[in-house]
Amino acid sequence: MLQIKPILSTLMRNKSGPILLLIQIILSVSIVANASFIISERIDLMSRDSGLAESEVFDFRVYNFNPETDYGAQNGRDMTTLRNLPGVIGATSTSMTPLSGGGWMSVFTLGESEETAKETEGAAIYYGDEQMLKTLGVKLIAGRNFFEEEILQGSPNQANLGIVSQAFAKATWGDEPAVGQVFYAADFGQEPVEIIGVVETLQGAWVNNSSLENSVILNVELAFPFTKFLVRAEEGTLAQLKEAIPAALHRDNRERVVSGFKLISEHRKSAYRNHELMATVLSMMVILLLLITSLGLAGMVMFNIERRTKQIGTRRALGAKKRDIISFFLVENYIICIVGGVIGALVAVQLGQQLMSLYSLPQLELIYPLSTVAGLIVLTTIAVILPARKAARISPAIATRSV
Amino acid sequence: MLSMKNISKVFKTDLVETHALREFNLEVNEGEFVAVTGPSGSGKTTFLNIAGLLEGFTQGDYFLDGVNISNLSDNKSAAIRNEKIGFIFQGFNLIPDLNLAENVEVPLRYRGFNAKERKRRVQHALEQVGLAARMKHLPSQLSGGQQQRVAIARALAGEPRFLLADEPTGNLDSMMARQVMELLEEINKAGTTIIMVTHDPELARRAQRNIQIVDGQVCDFTMYQGGERTIEKPHLVTGSQEPSNQDKVAS
Amino acid sequence: MFFYYLDLAWRSIKKTPFLSLLMVLAISIGIGITITTLNIYQMASINPAGERSSKLFEVRLWSQGIDTWSRLNQQITYQDGFNLRKSPVPVRQTPMFMTGFAVQTDDPEFTPVLENARVTDRDFFGLFSVPFLYGGAWDKQVDSEPAYQVVISEELNKQVFAGENSVGKTLYLNRKPYQIVGVTKTWNPSPKYYDVNNGAFNDAEKIFVPYSLAPTEEYQSWGNNQSWRNEPMDTYAQRLASEAHWNQYWVELDNPEQIRAYEEWLANYIEQQKLLGRFEMPDAKAEIADVAQWLKVNKVVPEDNKILVGLSALFLIVCLVNMLGLLLAKFLKRAPEIGVRRAIGASQTQIFSQHMVEVGLIGFCGGVLGLLWAWGSLSLLSAHFELEDALTQLGYSMWVLAPSIAIIAALLAGIYPAWRICSTNPSVHLKSQ
Repeated sequence: MLQIKPILSTLMRNKSGPILLLIQIILSVSIVANASFIISERIDLMSRDSGLAESEVFDFRVYNFNPETDYGAQNGRDMTTLRNLPGVIGATSTSMTPLSGGGWMSVFTLGESEETAKETEGAAIYYGDEQMLKTLGVKLIAGRNFFEEEILQGSPNQANLGIVSQAFAKATWGDEPAVGQVFYAADFGQEPVEIIGVVETLQGAWVNNSSLENSVILNVELAFPFTKFLVRAEEGTLAQLKEAIPAALHRDNRERVVSGFKLISEHRKSAYRNHELMATVLSMMVILLLLITSLGLAGMVMFNIERRTKQIGTRRALGAKKRDIISFFLVENYIICIVGGVIGALVAVQLGQQLMSLYSLPQLELIYPLSTVAGLIVLTTIAVILPARKAARISPAIATRSV
Repeated sequence: MLSMKNISKVFKTDLVETHALREFNLEVNEGEFVAVTGPSGSGKTTFLNIAGLLEGFTQGDYFLDGVNISNLSDNKSAAIRNEKIGFIFQGFNLIPDLNLAENVEVPLRYRGFNAKERKRRVQHALEQVGLAARMKHLPSQLSGGQQQRVAIARALAGEPRFLLADEPTGNLDSMMARQVMELLEEINKAGTTIIMVTHDPELARRAQRNIQIVDGQVCDFTMYQGGERTIEKPHLVTGSQEPSNQDKVAS
Repeated sequence: MFFYYLDLAWRSIKKTPFLSLLMVLAISIGIGITITTLNIYQMASINPAGERSSKLFEVRLWSQGIDTWSRLNQQITYQDGFNLRKSPVPVRQTPMFMTGFAVQTDDPEFTPVLENARVTDRDFFGLFSVPFLYGGAWDKQVDSEPAYQVVISEELNKQVFAGENSVGKTLYLNRKPYQIVGVTKTWNPSPKYYDVNNGAFNDAEKIFVPYSLAPTEEYQSWGNNQSWRNEPMDTYAQRLASEAHWNQYWVELDNPEQIRAYEEWLANYIEQQKLLGRFEMPDAKAEIADVAQWLKVNKVVPEDNKILVGLSALFLIVCLVNMLGLLLAKFLKRAPEIGVRRAIGASQTQIFSQHMVEVGLIGFCGGVLGLLWAWGSLSLLSAHFELEDALTQLGYSMWVLAPSIAIIAALLAGIYPAWRICSTNPSVHLKSQ
């Protein structure tokens, strides 16, 4: 039978050791709980689906520096050139690239009259043509794509047809079907845009923006000196196309710079780099922390065993089984671990509150401190059993030796 | 030299008060060799700890070499221990990680002597106890008697006026005990005052003066008992004698 | 005495190699993590303006209308940028924005390259203490009477002119010939404090052209453009006259009087603009921020970074508590030896010092090892995450800081154990063991 009372009194007599262990456990629990919470939150962020064929789609930019260039016509020719290159599945000019950290974003105006008009949530704006959906590899779930003849050229404010992401449709019109709805790209009544389709998922450019999932595709091929192109090609062909595309485009017109080839998957990596960095550093911290705490625990147990060698021998001489010795140490440390764990969990919640109020972190979920404590108990068991088994091997004869 | 007047020492715990010494009076003159005996638990060790400034006392006056010891700061009493007092313990208490020379050097370090002076004194002290040749050995490589002689050398290195010995022969067999005792007598002969706690009446009888502590008080007080003891070695062992010879004697 | 303690400490460490290793590891990991996060933090929060930080001010204007943006924007409009130049108060001042060009030379074989450029006034170079390798900035006159002159960076000079003195040569920017008047010496403040809108840790531009050329050459803004209202922006003239924010403005003010005078001037300017129908907010205001404040306003140091530094400080504390426990165990085991030393005449102070030296030595080893961890983890992080070199370079200050933190931390952890051991009554341990 485990005797908790004598163990407790032993603990009370040598206060400093257990107190230190307690402090260490409290701190560890509060750090590990918060860190693992942040880690899982970041992993959730990073695992959001962009809805694209990320390793097939890449973007690049063309800068036509001759001011006499007819940008619209030039872009049209360039697109034909691109689509005819071997390996290319689809190509479109665009105003922005998903997950790239740069692009267009705006709110739109909704409503029946000027008085009741209200603004939508912000949404990323992709200006492109009928090949946009195919190029991005996004799935149309309602309505239809643009027809070729519906595509306009030049200034963005002539757009009159739009395809929206499901998230934006839901945020804007709730359960009503989005297809057939109208919003205004400027103030009420100006630049009306009719929704003709809904895609399942299409993310914007800024991964930390709350409206990342809100996107709108509008039926305009922009005509600016700077043009961004999105190309979808068979996987692995980027290296060749990086050479082939500038060569092909320069054949048509030399007065431009073609640069910045980057796969969406690379954009994703850069976009989430800070989150991945945070998750990595925190994971490192958690692992090392657990390692240090368990080493410290093992060290303390070893020290206690050394100090109590004679006492253990005496216990053995008085008939304690090996199992009793091990469980003595286990129970002793479980007590510290559980007390520390409970206080640690409370501190963790407090720390979480602090972090939440100081920084843009969500509220700490209770499951994290709880599972940390559970993990700690497992760790304690391992850290204690190994040295304690050594203690159990102490010969009862030690008790009778005087020195 | 040493003067204790009405010293008392009370140990308090939550439940009990123990009077280790009560109204303890003792005068020891310069150059005396005093043996302190008494049953265990009588307060011998407490007396020695107080005499050696290792512990404070509850009441009374204590003068050592004319200095009032009550309420000395830790630094002052450490300095007095270092300069005026040498300790010899039953368990030798050599520092196991240090070799003999380094052990003997310890008090000199705390005194702040320079390296040259330390070396000279270590050499001299180890020669006095006949172990100069084993300077680099570790305590564990020596017999108990030799270890105790190193401990004596350590006590002597600081050239103390006053030597406190707590059962110095308690862990030694009779042959080694005799040698250690002879060494102490030589040291005393050279002018160092010695107070030795022992429960061996045989040893106690060899001292000039015997006191007995019972229940924390000086009970029996014998001055110059006999007074005609023979001293087997009339002079201190010095460097002029072959250390290796001494070694053989000791081992 | 110190060396004696050091010797004793070293013996003690050698005597219990496992325990010592454990302690050194604990503290080194704590230091390693702390220095890693602190380094990134420090590098991100460095004030690159140095001692001029308190003299350089970024100007912000509340030019937005009612019910739009709820705080001062980081940028200003072109018309404000143009107007502010008329103030006589600042020692130096300049509006600016970012653009870019296709760069060509006289050599027809040279493949055009795309480079970022900054459109600004002559004062830019003096204001931000930009060093020159060849030549210098364009004349003050150019700021009012546009001329096709350009300053390029040492890097671009190397790329285009193989590093020769190119002053006087021609560079074609979007096919227009510009005369090179100066080549700057490598200059790359990090964070790029003069314009944090477009990547606070991006490189400085390689081309500088006069602001006065903007209306004629219609330089497009390659930076962030922020609008608070819908307005036509089809032509460049419309863009220049718009309320869109895409310019930045910096002034140099040498003393409090100048600061006050300039603030007054700005207040007057806003009043005057109100008469023209701009600055619709009744309490529209101007604010100036010196470099330190500016970096703070822009949250150049990411929040994540602060959380990491905080958590790693807690981590270090765990390591210290861990070490404290181990030290306590170790020291108390040595109580008999200390009893002897005390009896022989060591004072409490000396025993305390002896132990603190030992702890300090462990701390130092931990600090050095920790620095190695930090260096390793920073290299790993920079390799894996393609972080800006500026952030992952182990700062020189860390070479001092790491061992210092380690030693101080170790000493803090050592105080209690050392105090325990030096204050125990020596006589307890002297009786035969």
